[in-house]
Parts: sequence; structure tokens; C-alpha cells
Amino acid sequence: MSSDAVSLPKQLLPEILRTPPVLTGSVSPGSLDDQVHAPIERKPPRAWFVAFSVTSVFALIGIICIGYTVAVGIGVWGNNVPVAWAFDIINFVFWIGIGHAGTLISAILLLFRAPWRNAISRFAEAMTIFAVMCAGIFPVIHTGRPWLAFWLFPYPNQRGIWPNFRSPLIWDVFAVSTYFSVSLLFWYLGLVPDFASLRDRTKSKIRKFFYAALCIGWRGSASHWRHYERAYLIIAGIATGLVLSVHSVVSFDFAVALVPGWHMTIFPPYFVTGAIFAGFAMVVMAMVVVRTTMGLENLITMYHLEVMNKIILTCSCLMGYAYMMEGWTAWYSMNKYVHHTFWAYITGTYGWAGWLTIACNIIIPQLFWVRRFRRSYPMMILVAISVTIGMWFERFVIIVSSLHEDYMPSAWYVYKPTIIDLGILVGSFGLFFTMVLLFARVLPVIATTEMKSSLPGAQPRHAGGAHE
Amino acid sequence: MSNPTFSVLGLFDSAQQLMDAIPPVKARVPGRLEAYTPYPIHGIDEALGLRKSPVGGMVFVMGLIGAISALVFELWTEGIDYPMLTAGKPIFSWQAFVPVMFEVMVLFACFTSGLGMLFLLNRLPFFRHPMLRSRSMPLITRDKFALAVEADGLELDVAACTAALRAAGAHSIEVLEQPAPLGPVSPNFLMRVAAGVGISCLLAGYLTYWGVKVFPVAIPMMHMLDQPRLDPQSADSFFKDDFGMRMPVAGTVARGQLPYTIKNQEDAAVLGNPLPRTASVLKQGRQAFMTYCSVCHGALGDGTPSLTGAYGAKPANLMSEKFRNYPDGMIYHVIMMGKNAMPSYAAELSEDERWAVVNYVRALQRAMNAKDSDIPKETSK
Repeated sequence: MSSDAVSLPKQLLPEILRTPPVLTGSVSPGSLDDQVHAPIERKPPRAWFVAFSVTSVFALIGIICIGYTVAVGIGVWGNNVPVAWAFDIINFVFWIGIGHAGTLISAILLLFRAPWRNAISRFAEAMTIFAVMCAGIFPVIHTGRPWLAFWLFPYPNQRGIWPNFRSPLIWDVFAVSTYFSVSLLFWYLGLVPDFASLRDRTKSKIRKFFYAALCIGWRGSASHWRHYERAYLIIAGIATGLVLSVHSVVSFDFAVALVPGWHMTIFPPYFVTGAIFAGFAMVVMAMVVVRTTMGLENLITMYHLEVMNKIILTCSCLMGYAYMMEGWTAWYSMNKYVHHTFWAYITGTYGWAGWLTIACNIIIPQLFWVRRFRRSYPMMILVAISVTIGMWFERFVIIVSSLHEDYMPSAWYVYKPTIIDLGILVGSFGLFFTMVLLFARVLPVIATTEMKSSLPGAQPRHAGGAHE
Repeated sequence: MSNPTFSVLGLFDSAQQLMDAIPPVKARVPGRLEAYTPYPIHGIDEALGLRKSPVGGMVFVMGLIGAISALVFELWTEGIDYPMLTAGKPIFSWQAFVPVMFEVMVLFACFTSGLGMLFLLNRLPFFRHPMLRSRSMPLITRDKFALAVEADGLELDVAACTAALRAAGAHSIEVLEQPAPLGPVSPNFLMRVAAGVGISCLLAGYLTYWGVKVFPVAIPMMHMLDQPRLDPQSADSFFKDDFGMRMPVAGTVARGQLPYTIKNQEDAAVLGNPLPRTASVLKQGRQAFMTYCSVCHGALGDGTPSLTGAYGAKPANLMSEKFRNYPDGMIYHVIMMGKNAMPSYAAELSEDERWAVVNYVRALQRAMNAKDSDIPKETSK
């Protein structure tokens, strides 16, 4: 949880390579608490209510569409054999991917001791949890009988059978449910000391009761911190493996199948990169809003946004490489079905979606090579939105374009989504942002304890030797 | 009488001051030293002489248990309890079980780490801890650092501790008392607990009933049952005679339903047994005989039923001279049509099973009427 990694003396580095300070102005532990916890303690501004009404209306549209689907059956969606997977699985993969940035920031960057992660980790982890919740809805409603979704879990039953553990769909069940529970646990552990400081700040009896219960009597003793830090670091280490495994398992849903365009070994790393790419775009978008509306400019600085934009640019280049590699693999396969599928990605019925994916994911993010654009709000928002759209359409191309024309021309089918499909997609965005807005109201959006431990002068001078 | 002292603590303004104060205080007073800080301080474990956290070892063991139990469970369910062949892969294809094994390992490891740290190692929740009632707590969770001398079973010399802390630079010295021991449980409290348990049981019972009996057949969950389908024996106005079930078309014979036209037993003598007398046929015949015939004819076919008392009729002794001289067809006819008190077993036994029973009866007859000459030469000394 600290930033004091070994570094070269600053004066030896050229200015461009010097790490700028991660916060601006003077911040003390007390002022940090006041600043971060203030929005929770006062009434939300009018803009919050406006935003909340809009997002909850969208969420309501989604709930109505899901209710209609459950009552009538999934025939109200546009997908039908051979396009048996469409919006439901696209949205599932899309939302799971959005979640990955949070775990990357909280776990992988913790292991690398990147000092800029502290300010954004709490928010990104919250987004992970909400995104995985949105993702979880889709496979469950796609079963058609969501009240029987528990059949996916291996429990002794009167039917005397077990789920097929050789199926990637069961791997998915385990990967996603593990991912959700571990993310929730990790998030909660980070919140425990913050709940303790909220408990001791608040004047309201009711709030005090809830915060006291949530922090389960945390008292910040040194003998507790020693276990806490160790446990937190270990979970971060394991979560790093977990985050890489989850999207790999999601990609196995495709890669293990024999459909041309799916059956490729590049899928796991390609999906993980895409997930981090889309997730960071969403985090940048949210951070721009949080920073300006909640008065946190000194804690979430332009430097944070710029670093994240650099990661987006890196991921964009990796995605470009992955697309080219996919095309090359398809050509090298010397298989006419694979050739056909790849040709259809850019010239077929859904060729426009293929070009949109390339434009949004590969071409537009190249703007971030320019430093001025990396530091400009309109450019950030432009790129973030384009990446979000691009990554959604990438899954559309992979799923719908591959399925609609495979081996048997007599079974080819042009897929069209219905209004219900679109309603549920809109609803998932509504649900996600509703939960983000609620989170920003009731919990500290910045991990104050972690921030306090890495403020200048927070650690005793001779503690440097305690590090490896 | 006031409670014994739990601890004496003083506040510091920075982590550096706290660290500097630990050695002198440790040297001056006995008792356990504990620090309370808003965030983890690096190097404080060594200064306070705290052991290294055992979380790592716990996580390793539980992760290993998670991985092994997941793999064993997968191998057992897919290979032994309900063998499922997928795409011609071997039954114990462990490679396909790795993803779930990995996820279960992660789940066990992370929950051991997180919950084990909170509940086992840190013994939380402890809402009656004196620190939570102290004046210093709100300052500690904000930005102050406390050093406490805790009694830990000893008698604390409050004055000495205060002096030691003050000399080390602490301010806002606070003396905390041991929490009052919990009084005896009152009958009123017990009654409330019992009422709570009772109400919870009733609620859980009702919810289980609702979840098992009501919910699965509510709309739309019962849509699966609601099918355009004719159940056996049900009426249907589609046909003129209102019968849902139809007779076979005239002049047709359903597969395996060839009509049996022989009327009396003697005529059946001409029927030939289509089955060879192989071990597998005899095994099939034995299975059918033991299921349907042995109840009356006895396990050896000698007419001594296991149902003697309540049963008036006298089942035939199939081992007698008369039945040994029957041709196969006549025994087959009795299975088909019944005889005297015996009903037809045509519905219970398939064509093959009937002939297999005949063969088995023949084998029994041979075995029950063995001659000395049947004993092989080598063993008849």
C-alpha cells in the first residue's frame, strides 16, 4: 500500500521521465477525510438527482423488458439458430470486460506499487462489482427459465446427474461467480478501515450503527494491521491470476467451439487485452465526471488521467496487433470456411460493424500519441466513448458475424435484434450507472486509508528498509 | 468498585513520533505495547516485537485443499458417479478440469485470506473492546497515532505508564478500564431468544413450502407443463367419437405387437424356440424367472412358493415328469395365455424374455434331475 519504491534520484532523469507528484496542493490525513467524506454527509446536489432519475428510468426499461422476456419466453429476442447467441452473450462479454480494469488497477498495479492507483482504486473496484452484476444478468435470463439457473451449480439432486465439467459454459459459471465474490471481498476489505473512520465521524445515530456493523469493530491496532496488510497483498496477488483467468475462460466459450472465426488459440490474451481496454475507457469516463463534480481535482489529477490514457493507447495497439494476427491466422489456416468468415467480417452483411470496430478501437485511440490530447477532456471523452462502442461491436462481430454464416449455406441467417434486445442493453447501462451514482453517495469514492498511508511523510523515515 | 485498568494510552501527531516513542516506553514499563494507527505503519511490527502474520501459510494450505477437492470432485462426478463421455475424450480427462480447479483454489485462498484475517486472526467483531469507547478512537481513525500500554493479565501501574508515555512525547493521556463482565442471562432475554428462534423456524418453514410447492408452479414457471398435448385416456373433440386415443389403422400391425393366434396348449407344441441356450440367454431367463415366476413356482421351479400361507392355489411343480416332457411351445403358451389360476404374463415379459424363461426352466429341470453319470469322471472317485 505504499509508494516509496526505490527510484533514481530525480535530478538524474530528464524531465519527461520524472514521475510527477500524484496529488497537487497540500493534503493531510485529516483534510483528506474531510474532503472525501464530505459528499456522503451532505445532501446530494440537484444534478445528482437529475442523473439518478435518468439512469433509473433506463434501468426500469431494462427491468420491464426482462420481465416481458421471462413471462413470454426468449422468443421475443431476435436470436435464432444458427445465431443462437447474440445480444445476451455480447452484453455478457462486454460487461465482464468492463469489470477487468477495476481488478487490474486494484490488484496488478498494487503489486507493481504504482503510486497513482490509490486515488482511483476504490471507484474502479466498485465499477468492477457493478459491471459483473450487469454481466451476470445476461446468461441467467438467456437460460429462459432463470428460476432454474441454480441447476448450473453441482449439488446433489433428485435427477442424479452433475453438470458437465468439460464444458466451457460451466467453467464460466465458476469463473464469473468466483470473480464476483473475490472482487466483493477485496472491495469490502479495503472499505473496512474507511467504515471505521466514517463511524467515528458521523453525527447520525443510525449511520453510526450501520458503519459500526460494517467495519465489525475495526480499531486500527498495529497487531491487526500486520495481518490486514499481508492478507490484502495476498488477495491482490491471487486476484491477478484470477483476472487473467476470468476473461480467458470467457474466451474459451468461443475458442473451444469449432465455429470458424472462434476456434483460435489467440483468443485468451486477445480477450483479456480487450477487457482491460474497454474497462479503462469506462474508468476514464467516470473519473472525468467524478473529479469535476465531486471536487476531487487535487486527488485525481491530470496525471492520473494521462497515465490511464497511455494504457488505453497501449491496449489499442495490442488490439490492432491481435486483429492482424487473427487475420493472418485465418489466411494461414488454408481453410475455406475460416477464409469465408474473415472475409465476411469486413465485406459481409455485418461488414459495417467490422469497420466500425477497427475505426473505434484502433484508429481513434491513436489520438493519444499527442500529449495535448491525452490531457484534454473532450478528447478523453471522445476516445472513451469510441472505445466503448468499438469494444461492444467487436463482440458483435465475433459472435453474430461468425455464427450467421458458417459451414452450411442452407442454414445461413441474417440476425436482427428486436426492440426487447435493445431495451435490455439500455437497461444494463441504466442499472450500472444507477449503482455507480448510489455508490458515490453512500461510500467514500477514494480509498482514504490507502491514500493516507502513501501521503508524503506518512511513513517513518527509517521504514524504507522494511521493503524488499 | 471500579474495574481494573485495561490500558493507558497516549496520542502522537505523526508516525515518526510514534516510532520514536516505542523503544523508551518499552524500556520503562512492563505490559504489552500496542499501537493504534489510522493506516498501517511500516516497520512497526519489528518495533513492537510482533510475530510475522501466518496468513500466507493458511492461504497456501486452504488453496491446496480447494484445488485438490475440486479436482477429485470433478473426476468423481464425471468419471465415476455419472460417467459422461464428451467428444470421445477419455473419462479422466483432467485437462478439462483445470479451469474449475483453478477457480475453486482462488475462491478458497481468497476467502481464507480475507475472512480468516478478520475473524480468526484479528478476532473481530469485538464490539465491547474498551478502545471503541475511548475518547481517542475518533482521532485515531482520522489522523492521530496512539501508543498503549495494555495490562494483558498484569496489574498496570497507571502513574508509571502515564509518566513513561508523557516522557516519550505523548499527549492526551487516557486510562481505559476493563469492560464490565456480562451479567447473568435474564429469563426475559431467554424468552425473547426462544420466540425469535420459533418465529424464524416458522418463517423458514413457510418459505421452504413456498419455494418448493408454490413458486415452481406459478405463472410463468408452469408454462413448460402447459403444452398442446393429449394425455392417455383423455377426451378430445377433434375426433367424432371424442376419444383422444386412437385404434390402430385396420390391417396394420405395430412393431413387436404380432398377434398370438394359437388357442389351445397342444397346438402350441409346434412352436420352435428361436433362442439358443447360451449363457447370456440363460442369464436373461433367470432374471425374468426370479422376478415374475419364482414367487409362485419357487426359486427352483419345484412348486413351493414363497407365498404359501395366504395363497390357496397350488402352483405347478415344473420339475415333474409331466413338465419335463412338455415341448418348449407348450410352456411358452402358458406364459402367454395363463393356465388355471395363473394369469397371462404376456404384458410383463417381452417375446425374447418369454423364450429365455423357457430355456431357463429347461436348465433348472436338467439340474434338478441330475444323474450320477453327469458327474465328470475325474471327480467321481
